[in-house]
Amino acid sequence: MAKIDLSKISHSYNPNDLNPVYALNPFSMTWENGNRYAILGPSGCGKTTMLNIVSGLVRPSAGRILFDDKDVTDLKTEDRNIAQVFQFPVIYNTMTVYENLAFPLKCRDFSKSKTDERVNSVAETLNLKSFLNSPARKLTADQKQLISLGRGLVREDVAAVLMDEPLTVIDPDLKFRLRRNLKEINEQYKTTLVYVTHDQNEAMTFADNIIVMSEGEVVQTGSPKELFERPNTTFVGYFIGSPAMNLFESEVSSNDSVKINNNLIKTHTNLSNLKTKNIKLGIRSEFIKIAQNQNENLIDVNVEKVEDLGNYKLITAKMGDFTIKSKVTRETEIPSQNVKLHIPAEKCCVYQDNKLI
Amino acid sequence: MNKLYIFLKYFFIVVWTVFVVAPFLWALTTSFKDFQSVNGGVTYIPWVDFEPNLEGWKVLIKSPARGGVDIIEPYFNSLFVTCTASLISIILGTLSAYALSRYTFKAGFVKNNDITFFFISQRIMPPIVLSIPFFLFLSSINLLDSLTGLIVVYIVLLMPIAVWIMVDFFNKVPREIDETALIDGCNPYQAFLKVVLPNSIPGLIVAGMFCIIFGWIDFFFAFILTFTEVQLLPVKIVALNSSVTPWWSLSASALVSVAPLIIVAFIVERYLSKGNLSGAIK
Repeated sequence: MAKIDLSKISHSYNPNDLNPVYALNPFSMTWENGNRYAILGPSGCGKTTMLNIVSGLVRPSAGRILFDDKDVTDLKTEDRNIAQVFQFPVIYNTMTVYENLAFPLKCRDFSKSKTDERVNSVAETLNLKSFLNSPARKLTADQKQLISLGRGLVREDVAAVLMDEPLTVIDPDLKFRLRRNLKEINEQYKTTLVYVTHDQNEAMTFADNIIVMSEGEVVQTGSPKELFERPNTTFVGYFIGSPAMNLFESEVSSNDSVKINNNLIKTHTNLSNLKTKNIKLGIRSEFIKIAQNQNENLIDVNVEKVEDLGNYKLITAKMGDFTIKSKVTRETEIPSQNVKLHIPAEKCCVYQDNKLI
Repeated sequence: MNKLYIFLKYFFIVVWTVFVVAPFLWALTTSFKDFQSVNGGVTYIPWVDFEPNLEGWKVLIKSPARGGVDIIEPYFNSLFVTCTASLISIILGTLSAYALSRYTFKAGFVKNNDITFFFISQRIMPPIVLSIPFFLFLSSINLLDSLTGLIVVYIVLLMPIAVWIMVDFFNKVPREIDETALIDGCNPYQAFLKVVLPNSIPGLIVAGMFCIIFGWIDFFFAFILTFTEVQLLPVKIVALNSSVTPWWSLSASALVSVAPLIIVAFIVERYLSKGNLSGAIK
């Protein structure tokens, strides 16, 4: 359990080349003790590199890492007291399930009784109790992944548990239960959990803080709500939420309004000091509704299709060249012609150069 | 269709078994024959076809003074040299293979793969190329005609095999295993000894098997680098030959010399059937 500070960290896998390619661009960040973090981003954006830097498997090209204000940048992995779970199950084939779970404690000279107690408690949480004496290699892939997870959780004093897409091989039902278990463990022991994933739902349901990454860059850090309602960049808007955020190329027309296809849309953003008039307007499909009796921020659209997705309806509509998606409740009546959609000003995000203003 | 398949399967198994076992049967019966029985036509069944005697076997343990060749000492010499050289080769080979598999080496244009190839290239060369350097080298350090000298040479010959097999094997053991061990609190040596090595036992067995086979059957270097003080089994067996080919004692010596390899084969086979070697042999 520790506060983890990443200070001006950057990393390149070929730092001595003429034009080094950076897997991680410089960033600074603090992971508070006892919180749950999710690192979210598409494959190859540097998520795993970030984890490996924290666990010490990779030494950053620049920057320092501090655990509870103590510099550990040059400390070896084995001396950092950190746990890491990889995407695919890593088990010690030649050992039993019990020996696997006890291994991290054995390496650190824990007493037999303490080891017993911890292994049994973790096995209980992960439903591995009945397998403790079986050879680990005989288990199924998802049980093996539980062992990897268990080895991460067996030490109570660990600085943080880093998980690199740990639930990929586990079936959805168990996945859901495990995520809840992890949350309980976090609440009970105040263990800092860091969870890497490219699945936004996983990130949203698991973490209280999400770090969104793209191409080696940390693009936004915040709560699921912040990321959803105020994405910092168009990338975050596009990457988070299903469907992705509606984005319209548009022009500034006054201090607080923009013009899309001859429709004037008011926003709550001050647009007076912009370099150019070209901006993008972003709005979540969840916030666009069929107009009832509003008289501003309305757009006329042609409804192209309506999909019934069980708990909601997804309207795909056209406004000139723009495609708009709107999520409405199942009960909503959708007229076939002359549809007006209402865009709430307070939910509009205005982007210039793909960054939120 | 199914019956035909089963019939063909067993037919080929029987043919193959005969093909493998027949020479042993031939050697076994021949080893109990005397001059008359060997030259008196094809016979197989003792006491019916021919009268067995132990002359062929006795020659192997009789001292030269009494007309024998005494292969007991060369036999144990061979066992000692093969086992010692194999053991050392496996230890050194496994360590180098682990380093080659896990760490990056670079000296100019020479990289990991080139180093691995360098080891293998030692076996590509015809042995005769190495004979003179080895001879001069051993004579300069006074190890010609000695067990130690042979062990040194055999390590040079066997280590490439161990490196070659183990590099391939370690490459297939995921790096995450080492990393997990480090995260769990092992230092790199403990990670290797406690986690990676136990996972590599199948590879070690295969490498050990090849080392023992190649060490045991070597005739060339044993012949060139030893004279009178020390003799290995293959050289001694050749010495059995004389103007009248002693088929009976040659057969007997062939059987005793192949015996250790059969034992090795049985041990490895037990692992094979347990599935412990799955993935160890492509």
